[in-house]
Amino acid sequence: MASNNESIGKTLGVVVGLCLVCAVVVSMAAVQLRPLQQANKTQDVQRNILAAAGFTDVKNVSETFNANIEARLVNLESGEFVTDKSLSGLDVDNEIDKFDFEMTKFDAKRSFKLEKANDLAGVQRMTTESPVYFAKNDSGKVETIILPVQGYGLWGIMYGFLALDTDTKTVKAINFYKHNETPGLGGEIQNPKWTATWEDKQLPVDIVKGTAGNNVHKVDGLSGATLTSVGVDNTFKFWTSDKAFGPFLAKVREGALN
Amino acid sequence: MANSKEMKEVLFGPVFANNPIALQVLGICSALAVTSSLKNALIMSIALTLVTAFSSLFISMIRNHIPSSVRIIVQMTIIASLVIVVDQTLQAFVYATAKELSVFVGLIITNCIVMGRAEAYAMKSPPMMSFLDGIGNGLGYSVVLLTVGFIRELFGKGTLFDVEILPLVSEGGFYQPMGLLILPPSSFFIIGLFIWVLRTYKKDQVEKA
Repeated sequence: MASNNESIGKTLGVVVGLCLVCAVVVSMAAVQLRPLQQANKTQDVQRNILAAAGFTDVKNVSETFNANIEARLVNLESGEFVTDKSLSGLDVDNEIDKFDFEMTKFDAKRSFKLEKANDLAGVQRMTTESPVYFAKNDSGKVETIILPVQGYGLWGIMYGFLALDTDTKTVKAINFYKHNETPGLGGEIQNPKWTATWEDKQLPVDIVKGTAGNNVHKVDGLSGATLTSVGVDNTFKFWTSDKAFGPFLAKVREGALN
Repeated sequence: MANSKEMKEVLFGPVFANNPIALQVLGICSALAVTSSLKNALIMSIALTLVTAFSSLFISMIRNHIPSSVRIIVQMTIIASLVIVVDQTLQAFVYATAKELSVFVGLIITNCIVMGRAEAYAMKSPPMMSFLDGIGNGLGYSVVLLTVGFIRELFGKGTLFDVEILPLVSEGGFYQPMGLLILPPSSFFIIGLFIWVLRTYKKDQVEKA
């Protein structure tokens, strides 16, 4: 190797030159691919919402989503829709599409700390607003209310959707799309066989050990996954309680959708 | 230019004779994590092969200008840039898989195979040979990953590439899946068995006690 490679000038030159080239390559890849990545992310959420609404094997996700699903932002405390288009400086329409519970719950203006006694789902902080989704039939009537939920399972937060009938009592579907539960045990919360047992159950639903039968208020837990089952139980109880979507569901019962 | 026999050896040597995982026991961490399904293993293999090949190529191209005092950092910069490009591309085109591979694509940066080949081969060899060496070592890694992925997905979930092969008991079939195989530690056993089989067949790989 040539000895002049070791001079300070050459060393600096090589390092600076290399960094410039690499920086350009990396930034170009990031900027060029960003729109595609963003679209993927949005589509992923939309696909899961559609799945909770009962649309499976969707070919064009965003088209089906736009045709059948309406998203609204709800103030959780009052249970009313956020109609002010510029909520504390945020663009509401944009906010609904991009809503990220994990980010928003650390936004001091739009979240608060939950007391331990109230924090059934283990989320620690709670947002003041949340999006809800409405699945409509062909004539535009709301048929399903889809609530985003999240709660602590065994290993981490489980993210999912709870689909309710417009009577706000009948469970239409549940769908967990992101979790860290043990594959084969707690991971079975994604098993269609198990999620199907939730259909037509009436809130409040308790998760019990193998004795649910046809009781409309009970669902059998997952065998070998007691803590995950408890987590799921707590998650749905928390999100349908007064701390979360309770006030909103009460408004729906009073006819807020009509 | 090297003759074709030498090129062949550089390209196919690492697949069995000098396999980076089985003989050199490098890159085990990602081999444990991403092999629960064959599809993830395949995409990870392709990603790693591309990164190893191109980082070796670029490092070899500028090898005579790299000051030895900063050579590791220079190698890391090139490898890291390539990994970011691969990661961004995966997120753009195969989002579901990228989500499952998550942090492990980023961890290709610290994969010993990539660094090892850059330092041990690309710094001393011409670009074309380094590129082939990168592809060869990537293939060696891929062989192990795909073998482990095949066994884990088939016996752990009863599927291959998400297509049902063995109908599970829980779906009304006959096959009771082996839950252990879905968990990362099972790869330890499978890689261990793989090394055992390989060293029984190729006695010269056995280390002297």
